[in-house]
Amino acid sequence: MLSQLANASALELAQRPLRAVTSNPARRIGITGAPGAGKSTLLGHLALLRRAKGRLGVLAVDPSSPKTGGAILGDRVRMDELDGASELYIRSLGSRNTSDGLADNLPEMLDAMDDFGFAEVMLETVGVGQVEYAARAQVDTLVLVLLPDSGDTVQAMKAGIMEMADIFVVNKADLSGAQKMAADIQRIAALNHHDPGSWVPPVLLAAASQPASILALSEAIDRHQAWLGTSNRQEILHEQRARYRLRRLLEMRIAQVIAQHDAAFFAAPLAEQLLLTLEMLGRVSVRP
Amino acid sequence: MNTLLQTRPALAGKRILIGKPGLDGHDIGAKIVALTLRNAGAEVIYTGLRRSPLQIAQVAVDEGVDAVGLSILSGSHKELVADVMTQLRELKAADIKVFVGGTIPAEDQLHLRELGVAAIFTADMPLTDVVRILGERLA
Repeated sequence: MLSQLANASALELAQRPLRAVTSNPARRIGITGAPGAGKSTLLGHLALLRRAKGRLGVLAVDPSSPKTGGAILGDRVRMDELDGASELYIRSLGSRNTSDGLADNLPEMLDAMDDFGFAEVMLETVGVGQVEYAARAQVDTLVLVLLPDSGDTVQAMKAGIMEMADIFVVNKADLSGAQKMAADIQRIAALNHHDPGSWVPPVLLAAASQPASILALSEAIDRHQAWLGTSNRQEILHEQRARYRLRRLLEMRIAQVIAQHDAAFFAAPLAEQLLLTLEMLGRVSVRP
Repeated sequence: MNTLLQTRPALAGKRILIGKPGLDGHDIGAKIVALTLRNAGAEVIYTGLRRSPLQIAQVAVDEGVDAVGLSILSGSHKELVADVMTQLRELKAADIKVFVGGTIPAEDQLHLRELGVAAIFTADMPLTDVVRILGERLA
């Protein structure tokens, strides 16, 4: 089922029957951050803690090769090493043609997790840089995992993913610089969120070796989930999800059409290339 | 579909689990094969060391793989392979193909084939042959 969804083309996705709105959607928790920040390990510990709250599934994305399409999906190695992990449902995904931190057809796979009856889905993005924040709209609660000493205050002030997180975690907090890093982010996050009633992202210190820090992170996620219920954030997120889905579908289709052009095509004037491509895009019926 | 892609790689679109069942802790071979399969276009999931046959079969089902490659250097290949095949059947996933790599004496290879193993790769086999044979078996 998930394999079929992952492999579906834009046209196949468009032809799927409209999905009824699920009355009981899974809570969606996203874990994002730079490569090697400790996302998988943190997620594994969190998942073991949170599975008591209902059936929990994990979708973990690792990068696909732009040269061969191949991928090493190694996130679950970290998770499988934990005691009790064999009861978790973990699905590893290659990012495939997507370069925003997610994977091809991920919105559809998240919906499928709702349909499978999961109470909570944890999504691990690929290792990201400053602007791959598409996970923002796909999850309800976004956790950004940072490393101590990964930059000065100016890095924390930069636009992009630093503005998107609901919870900041300075991971590997037993390394030096963690406290200072957390204090810097705290100051900047407080300046970014000053509307009354808005969520002020907490900045937490965590280490896989400190169970109390994992528990504190899990509790922060619960607090954010409770806050969501009192705000109109979910409506905004649902609209953003719908926009992302349509845009990705079109992008996939455009990439498919452009891949069909031969080298000679690009000798034509740009306006002609554009018109011909638009014509090819319009030439297909997507009516179910 | 990938922009930098010229020809379709031999294992494009395939999902393959590389598993290390049992107690041997040598996974250089498993990692080299994983990387080779990646370079041939496969999505490769690696289990890490010292997994039980049940864990490996369960991961194969959860991950929806086309094939499981078992890397075994401990000498216990007959028992471990039989266990993995049994667990896959019990999980109604007998369609997932199993191949084995490692130090497999010639006299055991027939036995493994009789268990239903799709291919056996010994340490002296060129990696290009591994890719070619897998491509054929998974076609």
